[in-house]
Amino acid sequence: MLTTLSKAAALASLLVVAFVVGRETQVRRADYGLSYNDDDSLWASQHRRVYADGPLAGPVLIGSSRIKFDLDLATWTRLTGQVPVQLALTGTSPRPVLTALGNDPNFRGTLLVDVTDQLFFAPDGAPQERKAHERLRAWPKWSLAQQASFWLDQKLESRLVMLDEEELTLNAFCKKLPLPNRPGVRSFPAFADNFATNGADRQSAFTASFLRSPAQQAQMKAAWRKLGAAETKRGAGGDTLLAQLRGIKRAVDQIRGRGGRVLFLRFPSTGEFLAAETRCYPRALFWDRLLAYTQAPGIHYADYPALAHFDCPEWSHLAPADAAAFTEALVPLVSYEL
Amino acid sequence: MVFNSYVFVVFFAVLLGLHNLPLPWRVKKINLLLASYLFYAVWNPPFVVLLWLATAVDFLVARRMAREQRPGPRKLLLTISLALNLGLIGFFKYGGFVLENFTALLHSVGIAFQAAKPDLILPVGISFYTFVTLSYTLDVYRRQAEPEPSFLNFALFVTFFPHLVAGPIVRPADLIPQFKTPKQASREQFLWGLFLLSLGLFMKVTLADGLLAPAADSVFGVPFPLAPLDAWAGVLAFSGQIFCDFAGYSTCAIGVALCLGFVLPDNFRYPYAAIGFSDFWRRWHITLSTWLRDYLYIPLGGNRAGSGRAYLNLMITMLLGGLWHGASWTFVAWGALHGLFLCAERLGRGWASRRAAAPSAQSAAAVVLAGPNAGVYRASLLPAFSPGENLTRFGLALGTLLLVNVTWVFFRAADFSTAARLLGAMFGLIPGGKPLLTTIDLLKVGVLTVGLVGAHWLLRDSSLRQAAARLPWWLLGAGWATLLVALVLTQKSSSSFIYFQF
Repeated sequence: MLTTLSKAAALASLLVVAFVVGRETQVRRADYGLSYNDDDSLWASQHRRVYADGPLAGPVLIGSSRIKFDLDLATWTRLTGQVPVQLALTGTSPRPVLTALGNDPNFRGTLLVDVTDQLFFAPDGAPQERKAHERLRAWPKWSLAQQASFWLDQKLESRLVMLDEEELTLNAFCKKLPLPNRPGVRSFPAFADNFATNGADRQSAFTASFLRSPAQQAQMKAAWRKLGAAETKRGAGGDTLLAQLRGIKRAVDQIRGRGGRVLFLRFPSTGEFLAAETRCYPRALFWDRLLAYTQAPGIHYADYPALAHFDCPEWSHLAPADAAAFTEALVPLVSYEL
Repeated sequence: MVFNSYVFVVFFAVLLGLHNLPLPWRVKKINLLLASYLFYAVWNPPFVVLLWLATAVDFLVARRMAREQRPGPRKLLLTISLALNLGLIGFFKYGGFVLENFTALLHSVGIAFQAAKPDLILPVGISFYTFVTLSYTLDVYRRQAEPEPSFLNFALFVTFFPHLVAGPIVRPADLIPQFKTPKQASREQFLWGLFLLSLGLFMKVTLADGLLAPAADSVFGVPFPLAPLDAWAGVLAFSGQIFCDFAGYSTCAIGVALCLGFVLPDNFRYPYAAIGFSDFWRRWHITLSTWLRDYLYIPLGGNRAGSGRAYLNLMITMLLGGLWHGASWTFVAWGALHGLFLCAERLGRGWASRRAAAPSAQSAAAVVLAGPNAGVYRASLLPAFSPGENLTRFGLALGTLLLVNVTWVFFRAADFSTAARLLGAMFGLIPGGKPLLTTIDLLKVGVLTVGLVGAHWLLRDSSLRQAAARLPWWLLGAGWATLLVALVLTQKSSSSFIYFQF
């Protein structure tokens, strides 16, 4: 058995090393870039910075994917010297995080809240809140072992493209298999391959290959149609909306009562997504009402020529160069409002 | 710390390095002990104090008990150990549950009572290490073992990191003797240990977390009735997940210990090929079932006080076994179902053996009871089963698996309404159930379930080591590489093992 095991171990080692080298070469040749897995640990590593104080303490950013793509952290830091804390979660309502920060007596910083209507105003307990609740449950229990593992993991992720969980895992491969589902089964539409990366600071950005590919952009638009860009049903109003607004106002008042500041942000959308949002979440009934009810300031991109002229390649997010320009225009407006 | 983490890789590499240096054996044991405390403390440092408390008290109690001849003081010392260990579990694990049910009881008779809900963190592994120390004090009390004179050996027995947080639940006789003489893995042990570690991680990361958990979580998480296919797929997914997660952990633990030169007991022996529930419990979480048999079922009287009492003892053992898993009535229901199936099986066998009391049938039973598995059969809670034709056995195994899956519904469901809804869907009792799972999810569950049951059936009377020894080296190597490549392709799962919550 010893000889068998020794030879087997040697062969296994050789095959695994060959696989790792081959796979890394293959994905780099296919234009995949370094991307950090946006998991509990990465979120927790950002969250621990929310209590930073002083003039260089960056604003805390919560919301959905738009603030992750459209607010360029490097530009913000260059212009203000502050390093923002990116806590936004893709495809997720920020209201649970807003509530948590409101209830956190130690948080008294500046909060910028991205309002993507269909996510922000999703009903309480909706699937759109799941990831937020998971992150909020996980970060207080971020153990020493997990922190050490995270530190090691960052070293590997900064060097190996193949460690991208979103794009390059067994499950990601299985999801892309063209197997038809039974009638009535709702499945998440396939996003374009390699369309975005996630930085160590949780900055999201479209890849160069995505920006060069009309076909991939069309694929993303088709996905958005299934995720809201073709929606016709008006967002919930009446008592449902009122209850949501009460909860939001309570959190905002808690933060402001402690000396903190809150500002709502509406990032650009275009094409069918903008049309759907206008149809289902009319500004007067949702955005304007939000600001009026909470008495918190807000910046709607459409109100400022410097923010309103950008195009979204797939209707919903800005390209990196535009995100930098957008942020450059946004910074003085945020300073003014706050 | 979990085995499926980068920090464990570094921790283990450093420890292996230290363990293989030419240091005195005592120094190596101290290294292992400190490493074990570090392994535990990096989860939540203050809870190491509980570990020290259980270790110190039980060491001292056992020493005193062994010297004491008078029954009264001996019982008192045992009571101290029981009170401490069961008190710890009771407080941290069941405090909230007791309060919740007490409040519900008062409300049911019209008394308004509301207490502040205690916000307690359950110390990881408390259900495991308290059982380990209890087995020590109970064995010393029953004079089945001598107290260990070396505190270092005893502390290492309790705290040895491979088994500390989720078993196998080791007995003093399993492990303490191994600390008395220098241990270093032979090359063969080291390589086999690494193979087991690879296999365990593959089972946990790739199979349990990567491929099965999503379907199980989806099905058990929806608040509406599902189509039968989806309900079954979700339950089978959980069935696969819990086996791969827990057996994966045990396999890692055994592999890691072997790399250091220590042998831990098997904890799983292909349970999804079990024929009957008594066979299931000889194959599933073996160290827990034997612990419950030796320290609960047999002291209650076992089957020595007549049939009626035997059934009662079986039910008590399984109810408490269910409650051990978690402070929830659904776990108790899971235990109760297993108890009922065991009782029904015992009743059936008793009836069958009375009917078949012919000489030819008796000699067949005698052959079985004298055969290679006789020790296992004799050690079980119930009389042995006479093997029949393969097809019949396979059919019975599938029948057992079907019932085991029914019990898993209660184990995983958050509450009884979820369990009822899922069972209703599984057996087509709820019309209009919705389809939920994608085709790829159904395929994953289907392929993995067939693969798992097939592998269990092929290996049920053998062992992985024997199977590996029969393979040519290049096939074993390719298989090993496949496990590791699958692990790399699944990526990290930072989730802890399911049994950490017990």
